[in-house]
Amino acid sequence: MTSPSPDNANDEQKALATTLRATWFGASLDDPTIGRLSALARRRTAKAGEVLLVEGGRSDEFGVVVTGRLALRMLVPERGMVTILTVEPGDLYGWSAIAAPQRATSTVVAIEPSELIAFDGMDLRLALAEDDRLAAALYPRVLEAVSRRLSATRLQLLDLFTHREPEAW
Amino acid sequence: MVSAPVATVDPTEPIGFLPRPELDRLIEALQADGRRVIGPTIADGAVVYDEIASQADLPAGWRADQAPGRYRLEHRGGVRLFDYVVGPTAWKRFTFPPRVPITVGHRDGGAVTFTAAERPATPLAFLGVRGCELAALGIQDTVLMAGPAVDSDYAAQRAEVLIVAVECVTAASTCFCTSMGTGPEVRSGFDLALTELDDGFIVRVGSPAGADLATRLSLAPVEPERRAEATAAVAATRRSIGDPVDTDGLPARLLANLDNPHWAEVAERCLACANCTLVCPTCFCTSVGQRSDLDGQESVAERAWDSCFTAGFARVAGGNFRPRTQDRYRQWLTHKFATWWDQFGSSGCVGCGRCITWCPVGIDVRAELYAIAGSRSGARAAAIAIQPPPTPTPVGPPVDPATMPHPPALATAPAVAAAPKAPTSPVRACIARVVSTRPESPDTTTLVLTDVDPAIVAGLPGQFVMAALPAFSAAPISISRYRPDGIELTIRAAGPATAAITQLGRGDQLQLRGPMGRGWPVEAAYGHDVAIVTGGIGLAPLRPLIDAILAERERFGDVRLYYGARTWHDQLYGDELDTWAGRPDLEVALTVDRAGPEWFGRVGIVTHLFDRATWDGSNTVAYVCGPERMMQATVETLGDRWVAQDRIWVTLERHMECGVGLCGHCQMGRYFVCRDGPVFNVAALEGIFGREGI
Amino acid sequence: MIERVSPVRRAREAGSSIRPRLGVVKFASCDGCQLTLLDLEDEFLALTERFEIVEFAEATTNRSDGPYDVLLVEGSISTPEQAEEIVRLRRQTPLLVTIGACATAGGIQALRNWGDETDFRAAVYAHPEYIESLAFATPISDHVAVDAELRGCPIDPGQLVELLTSLIVGRRPQLPDESVCLECKRRNAVCVAVAGGFACLGPVTRTGCGALCPAYGRGCYGCFGPREQANARGLARHLQVVEGRAPADVGRLFAGFTAYSEPFRSMVTELGGVAAPGVAPGGGPARESHDA
Repeated sequence: MTSPSPDNANDEQKALATTLRATWFGASLDDPTIGRLSALARRRTAKAGEVLLVEGGRSDEFGVVVTGRLALRMLVPERGMVTILTVEPGDLYGWSAIAAPQRATSTVVAIEPSELIAFDGMDLRLALAEDDRLAAALYPRVLEAVSRRLSATRLQLLDLFTHREPEAW
Repeated sequence: MVSAPVATVDPTEPIGFLPRPELDRLIEALQADGRRVIGPTIADGAVVYDEIASQADLPAGWRADQAPGRYRLEHRGGVRLFDYVVGPTAWKRFTFPPRVPITVGHRDGGAVTFTAAERPATPLAFLGVRGCELAALGIQDTVLMAGPAVDSDYAAQRAEVLIVAVECVTAASTCFCTSMGTGPEVRSGFDLALTELDDGFIVRVGSPAGADLATRLSLAPVEPERRAEATAAVAATRRSIGDPVDTDGLPARLLANLDNPHWAEVAERCLACANCTLVCPTCFCTSVGQRSDLDGQESVAERAWDSCFTAGFARVAGGNFRPRTQDRYRQWLTHKFATWWDQFGSSGCVGCGRCITWCPVGIDVRAELYAIAGSRSGARAAAIAIQPPPTPTPVGPPVDPATMPHPPALATAPAVAAAPKAPTSPVRACIARVVSTRPESPDTTTLVLTDVDPAIVAGLPGQFVMAALPAFSAAPISISRYRPDGIELTIRAAGPATAAITQLGRGDQLQLRGPMGRGWPVEAAYGHDVAIVTGGIGLAPLRPLIDAILAERERFGDVRLYYGARTWHDQLYGDELDTWAGRPDLEVALTVDRAGPEWFGRVGIVTHLFDRATWDGSNTVAYVCGPERMMQATVETLGDRWVAQDRIWVTLERHMECGVGLCGHCQMGRYFVCRDGPVFNVAALEGIFGREGI
Repeated sequence: MIERVSPVRRAREAGSSIRPRLGVVKFASCDGCQLTLLDLEDEFLALTERFEIVEFAEATTNRSDGPYDVLLVEGSISTPEQAEEIVRLRRQTPLLVTIGACATAGGIQALRNWGDETDFRAAVYAHPEYIESLAFATPISDHVAVDAELRGCPIDPGQLVELLTSLIVGRRPQLPDESVCLECKRRNAVCVAVAGGFACLGPVTRTGCGALCPAYGRGCYGCFGPREQANARGLARHLQVVEGRAPADVGRLFAGFTAYSEPFRSMVTELGGVAAPGVAPGGGPARESHDA
């Protein structure tokens, strides 16, 4: 990696901003917000099988998937790790990093080589605490993503979505 | 069927006067024609229709005092035979009996046969049919004979019934034929009509058979005073009833009040005991049970009167579409007074008042209609003495649809949405043979069948068959593929009947009846993009649609298949999914609800496969099949992608027994799912799709 | 579970000629439900060809403590020994079927549940200290899981044959959960409540008997127990408010063979009717004290 000179940093940030805007997550955010986020963000890759967050552990990374796929997994002791959701390109992971109690609600694993835009949890929390405008722009989008997951989870819970139990009588 | 009156017969014009002692001549003439004469008799404290030998068997001098939940027979003396008004039995007991065998099934190893049960028609004469009852017979004629499927035994028996009608010159406090337009005058639909006076009967002829009978009676001329007396008596009866139910716009008013809190209030009083439906002369819902020997080798399928109030009526594997008493009461009332119009072109109620009298807790349908649907003409209900419910709860005023911004679509025929393709051939039965079986998932098996009736093989994508084995109830199964020499059925073992079918092996037989229902309209998508969204076993009814689209691939734009399964083990047609996914002209996206580490595909619900897609749905036709909750969520999400509701087709499931719109079980609002569906356009389901307890 | 209900089919398909083992046992009951099995006469013989009856004290000296493929259980649990025995029996069979009002609802003896069992004991027996019974007489389902029920007092022979046939054939037993009223109307019996003023539990009682009692001109006793979503409260309200019956009389109607099943139980508790002697359930017309 080249050492960040001001020019490099600016190009880097512009590239990040472009990538971010092209995702579902970033598509509705305004320019100042994109700019602020790009300054905080970094690109990273995850290898297939790499664990990004551990269920129940401290959550310190928030990110957006650019390419690839992450699996959200929970441990069911009788069955091992069960994938309950996958995160597709454009969607976010690690929202728990910016919501109390900053505890990961599932284990996040890359199941394909994935490119991510990642944010350090602490840095992002500080930025949100200082910058009301950033918070006002970011939290609704995060809430939208989490709400979509909540509805899905509820339907999966009801198990009415794809299957019904057979009856003997 | 009563013969149509010929030009020379005027059913409104009296042709003679039958002195009272001469009534026996009429009865004898009917018996001489080989008919069993059914008339009113006294039994167990009520007037019950039964076979009579002579007029001595008729209830001379008896009257019935009727009120909600109360019937008291009184002997008032005198000679009048027909002043009792209606009793608990309806004539349908003889034309549409409570229990009849319909088929006999035989199973020997893997071989099965089904034969129709013999039910020869008996020549009958009905003596004492009132105006409301004539109307009821006509309504049942329409229900059972005028639809796409005809109850041929009913038709045969009905043709052997001769009707001697009787005009009402008294009324019970529970009568409301005047409001329903069915009486007390009797104008047509009979062979002979009698109006009783003290010393005899004024006779009118309504058909050639009636005219023939009349020639065998010694009729005196009708004097003007007698005629006037009869007319006055009937008019006085009409006045005594009044007009208790405002039927002006009643269907729309009822259907605008599906969420009226009063339904819950009725449900507190209603016992869901089904008495109202069983005394009703137009109710036609039935169920089929199996009476078999101990080994299930010989089984008679028996059809019995059923009711929408029973627990099993709307039950399917996995639940019950009308779990609460208020759902069932609403179904009964809205069917009888509103959706019957959509289905059969008339009201289902004839105003006979039996449901009021024979309700053990005296629920009065006239009062309930007023409470729920109000009245356009003011407080007519106040004109009759209606017993208020014991614990009335305050409810909001009924909604008048005239004041609503958008009149509900239910009471009117669906607007522009194109109907799914109507069945092209009548339903056939055949004994099919299993060629091979293929397990698709732990509980789902595909049967490949041959010896299938050509009409079924020529069916449409989305149609279904009723599959039956002796001693088991028949199951509705969608056809999952059409082959040159037969069909495939993909069946989930959801209960004992479907489990028995999935356990069949090569060479075993089963009965198929079909093809039934309306299929997926493939032509509706010509020139459009296509989205197919399905979950679980829902892919099975869609597979013939996919076959049809791929056979003419060039006629469609982008074609996308979205398929969600519980786990990847539950995916159907694994090899075909791979083949389809490999095609450049077909986009296939799969997801499962949960997976282990061996799955690298998507995990989540099927709507997540396209809720953030970037394609523009404004030129898309969508076909959706899966559990109803999934279809609701899918329709919403498709709407977010700009797919118009009138371009979305769903396939619904309800409790089905006959598959041809005669048993009444599968009703959903104004539709029979078996006959008007199971494929429906979502726009046509406005107001009922996604509504609780419909 | 599908396997469990067709032991005969499973055995036959496996090519086995071994008949499934059927047991019939009894707790606190009159024995009438077991007798229904014997009363089947010729059909009973046909059943013995398809089931091996290994325990049926009423009918055979063959005894077996288990295991069974199908176990029919009559009677309610009234003593400490019975409470232990039913748990032992549950482990001996994959399919436990309760037969009759005692086993499914607690029976008429469950009326003691509203009183003090020690008082009854003292009133009836010279040496009550020799009798050991539980304070409550309870249905089998209060103690162990039950796979199927045949209701009635006694059970209906047709329903018994249907249940056993369904085990052989592998189909769902056709035991409709609808009101007695449907059967009255199908068989053309005139409603004793509406036409006769009798108090009748038919509308809230599960069918199965063929509407026996109303066909003989009296109200239903409710011996098949409450049906699905029985609106006992609605019926009770009607009988009191509209027909003017006293609350205790209405409570007594529900205080019959299936008194202990909800919602009949709540009606008995709220309205009374178990304390004093009075009109028998299904008894005579109400006082004609109301205006229609």
